[in-house]
Amino acid sequence: MRKQLPPEMLARDSRFVRTSIMDQILDPRNRKISERTIGPAKLAPGRPASADRARNLMHGIFTGEIQALEGAGRTAFDFDETEAPFALKLDMARQCWDEARHVEISIKLGEWMGTEIGEFTEATFLYEAACAPDPVLRLCGVNRALEGLAIDVFNTMKEFGDVSGDPVLEFCEDWMLADEVTHVKMGSDWLRRLTADDPERRERALDFQRTVDKLFSLGGFRGETEENPIHLARKMREMAGFSTTEIDEIAELSELARAEGQAAVEAAGSA
Amino acid sequence: MTVVSIVPELFTLIEFDAERIKEIASEVAKSLAFPSDVDVHIEVDEVLPAPLNSSQADYLGGRAELWFTGGAFEDTHKGRHIDEVLARCGLGEALLRVKDRISGGFEDAPNDSEISERQRALWDAYADGRLTRLEGFVVREPRRRYVYRLECGFNDVADAAYDQLWASDATTWADLLEIEARLMEADPTERDAKPSARRISLRQTQ
Amino acid sequence: MSDPFKPRPAFAPWDRRELPGLFDVEESARRVGAYKWIETRLFEALGGWIATVPELDVKMILGRHCYHHAWHAELFDKRLPELREMNTDRLCAPANDAMEEFVEALREPDAPELTIEKLVGVFRVLIPRKIAAYTFHLNGTSRVTDAPTERSLEFILQDEWNDWREGEMLLQSLIDTPEELERAIRRQHELEAIVVRAGGITGLGTIGATTEVEGAGV
Repeated sequence: MRKQLPPEMLARDSRFVRTSIMDQILDPRNRKISERTIGPAKLAPGRPASADRARNLMHGIFTGEIQALEGAGRTAFDFDETEAPFALKLDMARQCWDEARHVEISIKLGEWMGTEIGEFTEATFLYEAACAPDPVLRLCGVNRALEGLAIDVFNTMKEFGDVSGDPVLEFCEDWMLADEVTHVKMGSDWLRRLTADDPERRERALDFQRTVDKLFSLGGFRGETEENPIHLARKMREMAGFSTTEIDEIAELSELARAEGQAAVEAAGSA
Repeated sequence: MTVVSIVPELFTLIEFDAERIKEIASEVAKSLAFPSDVDVHIEVDEVLPAPLNSSQADYLGGRAELWFTGGAFEDTHKGRHIDEVLARCGLGEALLRVKDRISGGFEDAPNDSEISERQRALWDAYADGRLTRLEGFVVREPRRRYVYRLECGFNDVADAAYDQLWASDATTWADLLEIEARLMEADPTERDAKPSARRISLRQTQ
Repeated sequence: MSDPFKPRPAFAPWDRRELPGLFDVEESARRVGAYKWIETRLFEALGGWIATVPELDVKMILGRHCYHHAWHAELFDKRLPELREMNTDRLCAPANDAMEEFVEALREPDAPELTIEKLVGVFRVLIPRKIAAYTFHLNGTSRVTDAPTERSLEFILQDEWNDWREGEMLLQSLIDTPEELERAIRRQHELEAIVVRAGGITGLGTIGATTEVEGAGV
């Protein structure tokens, strides 16, 4: 089996349809939508099309969990023990089990929410963060940035389940949230251990994390206002070991990403 | 034969074909035995993508007035393109509800912009149940059930009401209000009475 | 009430554990090192394959099993220092060249069309071999002196049985046509041929037989 599997080689059955994030960015409707007053974007019952938006997001979580499973598996395989210590590989194997459970949960939750596997398209940018050639970069990009994002997403969905009185959604999201806190801790721990004597490597990894954090805040997807569909879960992030400064930095990156996204939409519209 | 008109006649942001939508609407009207002397006017707001799916179906001035977000017909696998199966189903639901308004026991129902999300969820369940028993419509029942539960509650009373509506061929607006009262009793959580995803609110610009 | 100070036999009549066992400390450590090596190579392979199999159920099961084998590797890794092997990497090695060749061959399939080949290697060749080796160890070692290994093996064997059953059922559900059956048989034959040369996962004498096999390498 080859080492370093590129995203285009991820194996899927015929139900899955892949999409490119660029198609979404370049959609000519974006500029027009930004001119509309369609109300706060935060997911909540009573907001426009909240059921279909929640179903769509749930499917995105499902495909994200598959890619997180694949990414953890590849990190267990791609490196020898000089690059990724035995204990790190054990953690990745543990994460495989957790992510496999999350895929199971997501499938059942999707069914509960009336969604079929493959109903919506799949973008592979989560797995792309798991393709970095340095395991420390993978841990920062996946465990700290993306699993951190998962904390925000699951917390938002849990709140949505709570306010909409959906006991199944709230129950499942709460369990997945607990696992993600563990995964973030795992990433932080390995970042510290593997870069203890290599500050440059540490800085490269943190830079990569910032890039991923910003990418996933694209167009204001995540933030701290009613305009952001996904809310930064400060309390849960603190439990996962993020410092207040780190959380503030993510909030700033999110705001920056929102402004840049807006500018890109305007530029595409005037082009 | 039902006369169908559509706005816009030419889509510029998405790859929808207005003529094809009119054809589908005519076929759907025929298969629902929609009154042939009632014209149908369709408006598709092409700015609003999936999953911002919404619609309205009113009977105004002797004409069926249908409004859809583009997302309501959009192919979830191929953005900006139409999913004809979805469009057929969406048009079927809307025309059935207009038929209800004309002479199906919903003559005194307020316009769609005035009814609550919960009332709308109840009516949609009634419409989809009937549609599923007709030939040629692929109704995604699990989706309908989730949308319904989100508005009507995750409890046994709401589920029983859903099954009742789904199986019914003769529900009236009065029946619907009676069911709504039952649901309120089972789940008194306050819900926003104002409809959220409607033509007026979604087309406002800054 | 019986007298608590009355002397009783040190071992209950039903406790049939015996001294000595088949393995001394060194042999037990050697075997445990080989177990850790094969479990590690296996969990790495399962992890790597997750992204290469299109079948969703297989993908999730590989994710779960990947952790099972990692946990086995961890148990063996923790046992090694207790068997006087402070450098746990030293004994974490293939029993012989043929075993190394076997693992190379086992992990070789990559393409998404080769799920049967991947699963046959694990569930029809390697896991039955591991069950045999672990059962032999369990039955042969002194359950008094080597009790910590025995306890780990009991847990591990429970996993192996369950995983083998699940994997075998997956294979039965995937093999529908004569061509697929032929692929499964061919794959099993190829890998068995190598593992026979290796003498089993701990080399010659894995399950007690000591006849030297030509081509095993050292």
